[in-house]
Amino acid sequence: MAAAAMIPYPGDVSVWINKDNCKACDICVSVCPSGVLGMRYDSTSTLGAMISVDNPEACIGCNDCELNCPDFAIYVADKKEYKFAKLTDEAKERQEKIVANNFMSLDQQGVK
Amino acid sequence: MAFNYDKYLRLEKMPTLWCWGCGDGVILKAFVRAVEKLGIDQNDVCVVSGIGCSGRFSSYVDFNTVHTTHGRTVAFATGVKAMYPDKYVVCVAGDGDALAIGGNHTIHGARRNIDITLIIINNFIYGLTNSQTSPTTPQGMWTVSQKAGNIDPTFDACEMGIASGASFVARETMLDPKKLEKIFTKALQHRGFSFLDILSNCHINLGRKNKMASAMENLEWIDKITVSKKKYDALSEEEQLNLFPTGILKEDKEVREYMDMYQDIIDAHQGKRGKVTQDDFKKKI
Amino acid sequence: MEMRDVISSGNELAALAGADAGCRFFGGYPITPSSEVMHEISDLLPKVGGVCIQMEDEIAGVAAAIGAGMAGMRTMTATSGPGISLKAENLGLAQMAEVPLVVVNVMRGGPSTGLPTRVSQGDVRQAKNPSHGDYRSITLCAGNLSECYTETVRAFNLADRFMQPIFVLLDETIGHMHGKAVLPTAEEVKKAIVPRKKFEGSPEDYLPYQCEHDQPAVLNPMFEGYRYHFTGLHHDAKGFPTEEIETCRKLIQRLEDKIMLHTDEIELNEEFMLDDMNGEEGEVLIIAYGSVALSAKESIRHLRKAGIKAGLFRPITLWPSPADSIKKYTDMIKNVLCVELNIRQYTEEVERVASRLDIEGLYKVNGRAISPHEIVSKVKEVF
Repeated sequence: MAAAAMIPYPGDVSVWINKDNCKACDICVSVCPSGVLGMRYDSTSTLGAMISVDNPEACIGCNDCELNCPDFAIYVADKKEYKFAKLTDEAKERQEKIVANNFMSLDQQGVK
Repeated sequence: MAFNYDKYLRLEKMPTLWCWGCGDGVILKAFVRAVEKLGIDQNDVCVVSGIGCSGRFSSYVDFNTVHTTHGRTVAFATGVKAMYPDKYVVCVAGDGDALAIGGNHTIHGARRNIDITLIIINNFIYGLTNSQTSPTTPQGMWTVSQKAGNIDPTFDACEMGIASGASFVARETMLDPKKLEKIFTKALQHRGFSFLDILSNCHINLGRKNKMASAMENLEWIDKITVSKKKYDALSEEEQLNLFPTGILKEDKEVREYMDMYQDIIDAHQGKRGKVTQDDFKKKI
Repeated sequence: MEMRDVISSGNELAALAGADAGCRFFGGYPITPSSEVMHEISDLLPKVGGVCIQMEDEIAGVAAAIGAGMAGMRTMTATSGPGISLKAENLGLAQMAEVPLVVVNVMRGGPSTGLPTRVSQGDVRQAKNPSHGDYRSITLCAGNLSECYTETVRAFNLADRFMQPIFVLLDETIGHMHGKAVLPTAEEVKKAIVPRKKFEGSPEDYLPYQCEHDQPAVLNPMFEGYRYHFTGLHHDAKGFPTEEIETCRKLIQRLEDKIMLHTDEIELNEEFMLDDMNGEEGEVLIIAYGSVALSAKESIRHLRKAGIKAGLFRPITLWPSPADSIKKYTDMIKNVLCVELNIRQYTEEVERVASRLDIEGLYKVNGRAISPHEIVSKVKEVF
């Protein structure tokens, strides 16, 4: 059980996660425009998968992952604290591939 | 700093018991953000929830909270509001809670136009008790109490809210948390009965046997069946049949709120004014 | 104590008692023969800044009343038998969450729609357990016009002391009886108000449902900085739902013990012409309550004139029953007659606490009163 829903800003990152709270619902991965996130196999967690921040440098700070997460499992830095990237075509393409891979990170097989 | 939800949560109750991907969590967060945005003191808020998955909402948020019997949130909230007409009283109930067993109380809370915000988390099923038909479950879907297919017709909750007299009626979905936050801020600020139909996903119960077993598929379905009110109004009747209009469907800032009207009764009994008569009302019937 | 004469009816006196005892919310619904309580209190409460709302149904009436109680106010509802049946689920919530509430039941012929305008005492057994599960009811029964006022006042203090719904039973005869009542003044009643306990410490230290095994919860009003949770589920010290084995056991046991280990604070009886009874042959003990007790007292005067030494034991608190007091008399006196406007509802309790199965009874369930003559005849017939 998490002592706090929130993990304080670890500093110098765009987005960070709380693995105790993640229920592997895929929603954050689906709403990210920039291919930052993906699910990874994890035999010890809900549904056998866990959220992973694979490409933090591509985060544009839109906050959609945090807003759409039902479980306080993902957080995005403030624009004042971190310089976010701009959305690129490469990032968009990577996101499409992740969605097609059933929201799994691209180096994982696409079925949970 | 990312938004600090901790302030508004009962941290010892985390993580929530809601299923993976359940819209309840998204709705809770949007509500909490709305409270913060309006600068409302936590001590000035009372959240009354019903029975069901949405009923657990009240135990997770750090306000004055009440978990009532099935369907009776608006009635309990009326008692709280009557004693503290200037505090924020919010009801959270599911579609079965607010529209089936609690239908009568929903209608009359709206009719009184008492300053309560009713958030109906409408996931088209009875979730907590595992998949029974609710008044909004589409006909033909599989439910555990109608395994040969649901024959019960549905109705538009917002139309019922409007007909009952609610002065602020809106529908949103948990697909757009920013819109949700906006509608909650408007509803909290509105002095009168705010009737909010918030469409949500229950892929574990409704979705599982109705071809939407994952959160994503259920969300896609909700996306498909909703359209903004502006676009909706321009469609033909046939096109409208399988769509819900979203956005603010009614907003009346002129109609008087119930406890404001009750103050007239108090004043009349204390000799500060005459009795209330038909002349005090535009509506004579 | 300063007293005053008030000419009124039973129902209206119950309403007056509410307003004088600090009640600030009434949630109700019209039902014969209790509607006058609502009519009267709808005028009395706004005068003192309180609120009376006629809700859309019986269930909403008690739900709104409980909501006001949860918010921290003294609160009340009034109804008759069918209304209690409807309110049962929420009464259970008030028991479980420990919300003070006064419920006036003006009893009429039952079951079901029954005899809406006629008297009965048919809801006595229901008052003991209107809702499911384990808990103890506190039920008071007014036996004359003045008690419609004084018992309702007592109910408010009991509600705040024991943190649960308190039933005040009036039967239709008493509810609609009109006459002179000699009552304490409103100031006397106000002086004697004992409000619910309040926690004065820091909100971080506040545990509303953490109490001694025989004490009720300490529930602070809402909106004052003490945030906690009300629920009908089994709950822990802060009010949050739990299924933990010991917590659940202790909670239900406490709901039982907070009442049953303090019945001395709840019991109230009238002993009419019992002080010269000593167990001699031929003595007759009559047990009756509500309007029937008025007939019983008259019948005792007749019996005594006819040479039969009779007396009345009248429980004013019906539940929990005054077991020891009843047993004291049923051990002493052989001839015991229970008179009630139902079939044996309290007789069965008398038999239980007396450990006797030979209690005689005079019953009526057709909506008519029992006359003193009928009681005299019955005594002469069976004893």
